[in-house]
Amino acid sequence: MKPTACPRFGKGVKLRHDGNGSVMLLIPEGALVLNAPAAAALELVDGTRPLVEIVAAVAARFDVTADRAGEDLSELFERLEQRGLLQ
Amino acid sequence: MNEQLRPLSLLCELTYRCNLQCPYCYNPLDLRAYRDELTTGQWRSVLQAAADLGVVQAHFSGGEPTLRSDLVPLVEAAAACGLYTNLITQGTFLDDELLDRLVDGGLNHVQISIQAPQAALADRIAGAIVHDKKADALRRVLTREVALTLNCVLHRLNHDSIEEVIDYAQRLGIRRLELANVQFYGWAYRNRVALMPTLEQVRHGEDVVAAARERLHGSMEIVYVLPDYFGDFPKPCMNGWGRQFITVTPNGYALPCPAAAGITTLAFENVRDRALGDIWRDSASFVRYRGTDWMPEPCRSCERRELDWGGCRCQAYLITGDPGVTDPACSLSPDHASIASLREETSGAEPVYRRA
Ligand SMILES: C[S@@+](CC[C@H](N)C(=O)[O-])C[C@H]1O[C@@H](n2cnc3c(N)ncnc32)[C@H](O)[C@@H]1O
Ligand code: SF4
Ligand code: SF4
Repeated sequence: MKPTACPRFGKGVKLRHDGNGSVMLLIPEGALVLNAPAAAALELVDGTRPLVEIVAAVAARFDVTADRAGEDLSELFERLEQRGLLQ
Repeated sequence: MNEQLRPLSLLCELTYRCNLQCPYCYNPLDLRAYRDELTTGQWRSVLQAAADLGVVQAHFSGGEPTLRSDLVPLVEAAAACGLYTNLITQGTFLDDELLDRLVDGGLNHVQISIQAPQAALADRIAGAIVHDKKADALRRVLTREVALTLNCVLHRLNHDSIEEVIDYAQRLGIRRLELANVQFYGWAYRNRVALMPTLEQVRHGEDVVAAARERLHGSMEIVYVLPDYFGDFPKPCMNGWGRQFITVTPNGYALPCPAAAGITTLAFENVRDRALGDIWRDSASFVRYRGTDWMPEPCRSCERRELDWGGCRCQAYLITGDPGVTDPACSLSPDHASIASLREETSGAEPVYRRA
């Protein structure tokens, strides 16, 4: 996924917030439990925000370099894209 | 018990009625015993109780769930509880009107099954002329805002067409394909001699799937459910008894696994008599094989005990008569020889069609 791409969720993909603060990605036939940075990133996915902006926001919020956050998140977004969970 | 234990998934078997007669169906043989179905209101309470327990996904299946006239309100009720909703259907009743009402009601995912990629074979397996209707339903779902999985159960009668199933899915533009080797419960267990794939078919299937996964990487996800009697270790059935899944049968029995009703040595409890949460936490039927304390050897001291949870209780019961032993599908099980003989029992027997 290019840094300028604006990801959006595939059909049948839903973020779910539980009372205790945990966040899951609900997908056909399963649920992925997300760590805090992944959850923060996916909360910003709306089809209009480019990946770079999502990365920058997560980097600022978790106090890591944009490079570091970019690496982790690109890998996650790539994986989700390949499974059709992000477009 | 462990306080953290929380069910994630509820399988609502709304009815066992069905207009098809697949001989591979895992539904129970005594279908008529399930005709006293829960009411709409009772299903709503089940959904709410499940959501309160922490369940995140509701699957509507059966039988054929679209035969229930209250399917749409039940999907709406599940969505209103915050549940992810999944409809598991053979698609013959999924017309534009029903589909629109379901999607408007908050349906997230549809799984449609075909019996084979060719109409003649598919209709022969289904015991009805329905294959072309399913293709229409699949095309219809693809145009809607809902996720779609195509499912095909594989067995000796259609295993040689595995490549054609993948082509069929590709032609339609399916993104997610589930190729499920038949699991031997209910009618499928009764028909196991006719349905048992040959070792050749199983090996060929693995090669085809591996090649297709590589070729279709990024455009189609292929879920391949391994055959029951061919591996060295059993499947991690339900991810452990009473750990993540609850099934509720058409007449209200809460089960740790859809095939569990066949285990006559356990007393299952009904949501008409007892709250779902109490059944989940305390019912002897759920507690009996939960975790690892119940395990006999060789599971008890095995490194894999929290990977596969000793395999499947229903399979242990069907094959040995005792649900509390190591799944005979495991190569370490003292009963493993019976799996080999079942596997090799592949005469040309005709399957019997599912009927009430
Ligand atoms: C029992 S069916 C009920 C839903 C619907 N009537 C249908 O067949 O699609 C639920 C799902 O299990 C699959 N299935 C049925 N019998 C099976 C078996 N013995 N082993 C594995 N999957 C099976 C079906 O293809 C379907 O996807
Ligand atoms: S597997 Fe076949 S017979 Fe069984 S419920 Fe589904 S369509 Fe009906
Ligand atoms: S002995 Fe039990 S725990 Fe070990 S692999 Fe076999 S079934 Fe699994």
